[in-house]
Amino acid sequence: MTLFAANLNPATGQMLLALLLAACGFVFLLPQPRGRSVAGGIAALIAAAAVFGAWLQESFGKPLPDMIGTVLFYFFASGALGSGCVLVVQRNPARGAIAFAFVILSTCGLFLLLAAPFLMAATVIIYAGAIVVTFLFVLMLSHQDVVSDENDRSREPLLGSLAGFAFVGLVLFTLYQEHLPTAKLPPLPAQVITPHEQVQLDAVAAQLAELQAKLHSESKPTSEELTAQLTKIEVELGNVVGLPPTNQLGFEDDGSLMRRLQIRVKDAQGERKEEADPQAAAVLARSVALRDLAYTTFRDLENQPPLTSDANREAALRSLLALRNEVRLLSTAGDLPARNVGNLGLVMYSEYLLAVELAGTLLLVATIGAITIAHRKGARA
Amino acid sequence: MSDPLGLALTILALLLGASIVTACCAGRTFKRAAHWPLIVACGSSAVLALMLLARVAALETPSLVSDPVTWFAAGKLSVNFTIALDPLSCIMLAMVTFIATWIAIFSSGYMHGDGGYVRYFAVMSLFVFSMCGLVLANNFFLLLAFWEGVGLCSYLLVGYYFEKPSAAAAARKAFLVTRLGDTGLIIGVFMLWRLTGFATTDIATAFDIITKTVTDHPERLNELTIALLCLFCGAVGKSAQFPLYVWLPDAMEGPTPVSALIHAATMVTAGVYLVARCAPLFALSPTAQITVAWIGGITAILAAFIAMAQTDLKRVLAYSTVSQLGYMFLALGTIGAVAPAYAVTAALFHLFTHAFFKALLFLSAGSVMHAMGNVIDMRRFGGLRKVMPVTHITFLCGAAALAGVPLLSGFWSKDMVFESLYLGAEGNSPHTGSLFILLLVGLVTAGMTAFYTFRAYFLTFWGEVRIPEEAGHHAHESPSAMTIPLIVLAIGAVGIGAIVEPITHAFSDFLARTPRLVGAEEVHGFNWGLAGVSALLALGGIAIAYMCYGKGGPEVVPAPLEPFYAASRDKLYVDEVYSYSFVKPAEWLAFMARVFDLLLDSLARLVSAVPRLFGAAVRPIQNGLVQFYALSMALGLVVFLTFIVLKIAR
Amino acid sequence: MITLWHYLAVAAALFGIGLVGFLTRRNLITMFLCAEMMLQGVAINFVAFSRYHGNLHGQVFVLFIVAVAACEAGISLALFLAIYRRGRTLDVSTWQSLRERGVPLSVDDVPLPIAPPTEPDPVLTPAGARPPQSIAEEAVRV
Repeated sequence: MTLFAANLNPATGQMLLALLLAACGFVFLLPQPRGRSVAGGIAALIAAAAVFGAWLQESFGKPLPDMIGTVLFYFFASGALGSGCVLVVQRNPARGAIAFAFVILSTCGLFLLLAAPFLMAATVIIYAGAIVVTFLFVLMLSHQDVVSDENDRSREPLLGSLAGFAFVGLVLFTLYQEHLPTAKLPPLPAQVITPHEQVQLDAVAAQLAELQAKLHSESKPTSEELTAQLTKIEVELGNVVGLPPTNQLGFEDDGSLMRRLQIRVKDAQGERKEEADPQAAAVLARSVALRDLAYTTFRDLENQPPLTSDANREAALRSLLALRNEVRLLSTAGDLPARNVGNLGLVMYSEYLLAVELAGTLLLVATIGAITIAHRKGARA
Repeated sequence: MSDPLGLALTILALLLGASIVTACCAGRTFKRAAHWPLIVACGSSAVLALMLLARVAALETPSLVSDPVTWFAAGKLSVNFTIALDPLSCIMLAMVTFIATWIAIFSSGYMHGDGGYVRYFAVMSLFVFSMCGLVLANNFFLLLAFWEGVGLCSYLLVGYYFEKPSAAAAARKAFLVTRLGDTGLIIGVFMLWRLTGFATTDIATAFDIITKTVTDHPERLNELTIALLCLFCGAVGKSAQFPLYVWLPDAMEGPTPVSALIHAATMVTAGVYLVARCAPLFALSPTAQITVAWIGGITAILAAFIAMAQTDLKRVLAYSTVSQLGYMFLALGTIGAVAPAYAVTAALFHLFTHAFFKALLFLSAGSVMHAMGNVIDMRRFGGLRKVMPVTHITFLCGAAALAGVPLLSGFWSKDMVFESLYLGAEGNSPHTGSLFILLLVGLVTAGMTAFYTFRAYFLTFWGEVRIPEEAGHHAHESPSAMTIPLIVLAIGAVGIGAIVEPITHAFSDFLARTPRLVGAEEVHGFNWGLAGVSALLALGGIAIAYMCYGKGGPEVVPAPLEPFYAASRDKLYVDEVYSYSFVKPAEWLAFMARVFDLLLDSLARLVSAVPRLFGAAVRPIQNGLVQFYALSMALGLVVFLTFIVLKIAR
Repeated sequence: MITLWHYLAVAAALFGIGLVGFLTRRNLITMFLCAEMMLQGVAINFVAFSRYHGNLHGQVFVLFIVAVAACEAGISLALFLAIYRRGRTLDVSTWQSLRERGVPLSVDDVPLPIAPPTEPDPVLTPAGARPPQSIAEEAVRV
């Protein structure tokens, strides 16, 4: 394909097969007066699900250290997708609404897996509690016991299915392409660092970026400036992750993160080694790695001054980029679920206060609008 | 109220307020009382104007200019709202409000029961307001604004019976023809502004600057002459002079009191006032003066000739107005030949007396019309002497004054015009020959005036009683609301001229004190010989009219005079000439433009057919199904995204 | 081990299924539920990214999505009621009067299958009243 710069490999073919199968299943299953085949449709969908799961596992999956998490993910994901399929193909809208409730519940499970307990609760309350009940109420108004246009016909089943799954295919293809070169990305990280440390790390990352830009630009900084800035960055980073045992300053410093985490890990390890806080340990390991990387990087920069030659400059840019990525990763490590609700409130009422107010106003307006629209005018209806 | 300028502004406010009150408040409830705001406003304005006259006369230098307030400004042009009071504007103001008051009272009787009663009085108020503003304005652009206001009101009033096609056409004609002149006026105003070095548009200041400019740089006199001729164009349009007089006779389509107001007080006098106001400038330019004089002379004799054979009473009066306005311009044309003060006094005095007797004549004609069931053709009625005694006497007063019967107002003022012409012809101006010819023209016209006036009088009031069937049983004298104004105006027509001029010289003395008018000392002359000739001519005209029409109608024309009679009756074919020389070519041009337009249109249609065909081809996708639209959207998005993803993917 | 990609893939699939339902189903309520399902797919995306980046902005966005969805639900419920009162049907294809002039009304070609006759609901005889039965049956029962 010269027109498109994409590389099509067997994995992509697998994905396309899954999508085609799913589309066929929908075409068979969607309610139509003629040519509806439930068995064929279900078979096609099951085949599609199998192929899709295999593709998912093959493309993104790795050896499974977290068995429970994986199993739960697949359980909830298949629940959401399966219920979604039922909702789409079910002739009876009341049953469709129940399927939708299952979609919501499965989604909530995924939210929990993603450490968003508050969202899980909110979604359950709002959707399962309010929307589904409301729609069951509406359904009572309409008659479902006879064959009707709205429930037993579909508009353009083939084209609609193709459009929808082509969309999915595009997204998945993009994901796959993005995924390929960075396959070594860590799993969703756990975050044990405090917001203050996060701010400090972000500042260091910003300064590193600034330094990179300076090195990149035409007007090069003087070596004194460069040294001053490097020292500043090193000190600030040291405040968080500490300094390695053998440093030029001649003393060892642990940094705030290290001090705190070492206690947690040690406490846990003291009693039973297998119950050590894995997230804290992971962050600790990462921070030690960052410390060492920073040390080597800065020493390299001192030994091979980037201003002397172009080759040196390129090397410096590369190492600075690597360091910056590590700093960023550490600062954006995930938060613990226990602190989720409080932090969410903090973010909402500090950074998004105006938006919250607007959303509240929107709800009020919608309430008034709904009452106005549904109001029965006079004795006409 | 102590400040004269405040008085003047009060007058304006009263009249404008009357118009607004009438228009807004006089709904169905107050419909019958719609005439009161106008009458009250006009009456109090007249009283205020007389007070103002006394105030200004008592001043050392009778000239007051209000503080300029910027009305609008654009670039170098800055237009002020400012009014000026001097003898000229005071006299005009008093005359306009006084005449308008009586016309308003007459109207309340004449228009009684008409459908558009409220509209009539609202526009009348606006008309008088515009005229007063025009008279008071001390800025060329302000004057222009009021000038257009007068034009607008005349359009509305002439077209008052707009459901009648002829009235609508007459209104349109009046508006368009005066528009021609107004274009000249606007150009003239801008040229004058240029002559001031783009310094000011205030009239008084501009006069001083221009006078100085032209005195210092004689080569710029031509520029001034052109500017003045352009100004005069406006005056020709508004004051119905040759060649733009054609709208005035048609303007008789409006209600008769409107004709009286247009002819006597408001509309047509605006042109005369404009030239009189600009007299200091006209005095600088002999070419402009003699042009004014010639136009006036031609108009005077032409209109008098046409008036001699008209059968419509109001048209006779209309042409006589045109003719008398010609006299005024004749007098104004002598500005340079005699002292400007003298010429202006002659013109304004004639305007003043003419306002009285012409308003009187029109109102009397209106009274006749009222009684005759809106019939105004003199061939269809006659001998109304017995039927309408008051109207008969008042019409006779007016006719005698117009004819110039000695000792009546018209005699004195006309005599003053002749004297100014005579002095001009005697003097050392470069155009003495022209002025002498024009004097003869004026004298001949005086005789013709006496003839046609009394022809109308005899045909209407003498002979056997003939009443058209439209009148029914209504053939009686008019109500007192109509006769009282007639009597008042008749007294004015008979006596006012003698009182203010030959006896007291109050008029000329006062007017001569107008700033920038020089030569006040020459004013009081009386040429017995000239007066005798004009009196003889007037009496001769009356005598001939009596011989021909003394027994009343219908009129018989001797065979040898038949061609002249026909020419006069058909208005010298001026309308036809205009029709063939201007209207028809314009129509032809319009037709050609339409053909061209059609060609262009078809070309455009051809181009537009392409997208239309394309639209017809893709129209079926607009099938109103929401889901179809959503599907198209999704498919389109898929195609678009596919391209993007596959193009930029690694 | 579950990575971000897994969540994104599931979210995309949920979104796509919802889209298919929205495009093909003709019942207004089902269409609405499908739209809500698409919103859920987007919400999963947000939460997954939130988790990935370790900050809470994504979750806040999801909260706003939920708020907007609630508004949407209220308004659309009211609209469905109004529409149902007018046409006694929830079929979205009933309302196609906004089509271009001259475009024919689109009608469904294939006839609907005839629904099996439903049995009438059983009616209980009020207590104390005699059921409307013939004398003969009465005799048989006795």
